[in-house]
Amino acid sequence: MKILSLLLFTCFSSFLFAQEKLTKLSAPSSPASSLLGLQPSAVLTPKSYQALETAIFSNFFNGSGKVTVPNDFSLEFTPYWTKNHQLTLEEYLFPKSQWDHIKRNSSLSLASTQNFLLGDSAATNAISWGYRTSLFFANKNDKEKVLSSKNKLNKLQLATADIMGEAQRIVQLPEVKNAEDFVDRIKARVRQSFLNAGIVPDSSKATIDTFTETILSNVLNKLPALDKSKQDDFLDAFVATLDAELATNDASFEALKSSVKERSGLSIDFAYAGMISFPTNDFQYSIVPRQSFWITPSYRFSQKANFLKVMGVFRYEWYSLDYYKHYFPQNKVYQSNVDYGLSLSAHFAKFSCQFEVVGRSSQSFTNAGTDVDGNTLYKKEAGTDLQYIGTFNYRLTDQVVLSYSLGNRFDPIVNPTNTLVSLLTLNLGFGGPTKESLDLTK
Amino acid sequence: MRKVYRYKNLSYTLADDEIANFSVQFISDGTTGQTVINVPGSTDPSILDSGSTPIGNGASLRSEDTIVVSDVANIIPEEDEVRIRYFINGQLVQEHCNQVSESDRPMIILTIQFPKP
Repeated sequence: MKILSLLLFTCFSSFLFAQEKLTKLSAPSSPASSLLGLQPSAVLTPKSYQALETAIFSNFFNGSGKVTVPNDFSLEFTPYWTKNHQLTLEEYLFPKSQWDHIKRNSSLSLASTQNFLLGDSAATNAISWGYRTSLFFANKNDKEKVLSSKNKLNKLQLATADIMGEAQRIVQLPEVKNAEDFVDRIKARVRQSFLNAGIVPDSSKATIDTFTETILSNVLNKLPALDKSKQDDFLDAFVATLDAELATNDASFEALKSSVKERSGLSIDFAYAGMISFPTNDFQYSIVPRQSFWITPSYRFSQKANFLKVMGVFRYEWYSLDYYKHYFPQNKVYQSNVDYGLSLSAHFAKFSCQFEVVGRSSQSFTNAGTDVDGNTLYKKEAGTDLQYIGTFNYRLTDQVVLSYSLGNRFDPIVNPTNTLVSLLTLNLGFGGPTKESLDLTK
Repeated sequence: MRKVYRYKNLSYTLADDEIANFSVQFISDGTTGQTVINVPGSTDPSILDSGSTPIGNGASLRSEDTIVVSDVANIIPEEDEVRIRYFINGQLVQEHCNQVSESDRPMIILTIQFPKP
C-alpha cells in the first residue's frame, strides 16, 4: 500500500507541475534546436560532406524537387571530423594550442519545424541555424590521471598481444590436444608477459607466480574444449576469458574511458543561434525574430573533490519586437534579455544534487513620439527576475531514478505569483533494443 | 566490445640478407594500442601506437610464420572507425578497418610468410 501511495503521489505531482517545463542550466548541445524549443527524436550527425549533402537534399527537397521545410528536423555537422588526421590519443587530449580546440569543436547546427506556434496557436514553418565551439584548459591532475590510465591500458595491451601471438603458435602444435595442454604450454609466456608489461605491482617471483596461476586457473575453468578444426574459435574464447580476468586490474579500458569522459579542468562553451520564421507559411515572406548568444564556462574539480562541478552561464537574446507584437500580442516580450546563472552539482555513487540560480534582465526601447525639434524619443522598459532551484536525485536501480526539485521559478505569464517549484518525479528507463536482442540474421 | 580480426596467408618476398622493417600506422584519430611481432626465435619486438621496428633478415624469418598481433582501443566519441595500415619496408601489406560500433577494442592478427625472391 505504501508503494502504491508513493507511486500515485509521484505521478500526481508530475501532472500538477509538468505544464511548464523546467529547463536545466546547461550549454545547448544543439543551439539551433534549442532556439526553436525542439526536442527532436533523432539528430542527424553526418560524418562527411557527401552525407551532409544527402541529409540536406533528402530533407529539404520533396519528390518533385521543390524546397520544403522538414518537420522535427535537427542536424549537427562538425567539419573537422570529416577526415582522419592521424592524431594520437595524446594529441587528441592535449592539443598544442587553444586554436586546435576551436577547430575540433566547431560545429554547425540546423533545425526546422512545421509546428512553430504563433500566439493564436497557428502552426507555422521555422528554420534555425547555429554554431558552437569550446575551449578546454586541463589542470595538472587531469593530465596525470589520463596519462596514467592510458599507460595502464597500454601495458595490458602489450601483455595480451604478446600472449596472443604465442597462443597462435602453441594451439597448432600436434602435442597440444586439449585446453589443459594449451594452458600448460602457455604458462611460461604468460608469466613473462606479465613481468615485461609490468602489470603486477610487485615483481617478486612469488607474486608473479601466484598472479599467473590464479589468472590461468580461472581462464581454464571458462575455456571450451579444444577442437583442432576450430582453433580460431578456441583462441577467441581464450582472449575473451583472459581479458575478462585482467579487466579486474586497475589498468582497464573502462578506466581510461571514464578518465576521458570526465576530465577535470575549465571548459568554456560558446554558441550562437538564429531563427527565421515564415509566419504566413509563404517562402517569400520571412522574418528573423530571435537570435541568441551563449557563453557557458564550467569547471570540474579533481582528486578528492572530483564529484563537484561548477557551471556558469551567460546568454544574450535579442528579439524583433514588431514580429512579437504582431504575432504574439498577448505576450510581454522585451527587445533583449540577458540571462546569467551559476550552478553547482555533485555526483556520488547513487546520489546526485544540483543547485542553480539564474537571473534575467530584460529591456526594450520603444518609440515615444518626437520632441519639438522633430527628434525621435524612446521610452526604456526594463524588468528583472530570478529563479533558484535545488534538485536531488537518488538512483534506486540502474533504470529507476527518484528526483525532487524545490525552489522558485521565473514569474509565469499566467498566475505570476505562482512561482513555487516542488516537483517529485520517478524516472523509469526502459532502454532500447540492442544488437543482442535483435536477431539481425533474419 | 572485444573482437578478433584475422588476416592469414600474407606474404612478403625477402632475400636472405635483406632486413625487414615492419611499420604500423594508426590512421584513425585517437587510437592507442600495442603491436607485438612474434618472429621465429625468442625476441619479439613491439610497437606502441604508430611506429616501426626491424624484425630480422629473410634467412631468420623463413623457418616459421611471423604472427603480428595488435591490441587496439579507440575511445574518442568523434571517431567512428578503427583504421590501421601495416607496412614492410614501406610496402603496404594489409589495411584493417572496422566500425567502432562493431568493436572499440579490436585485436588484429596477421600471419605473414617471407618467401625467397
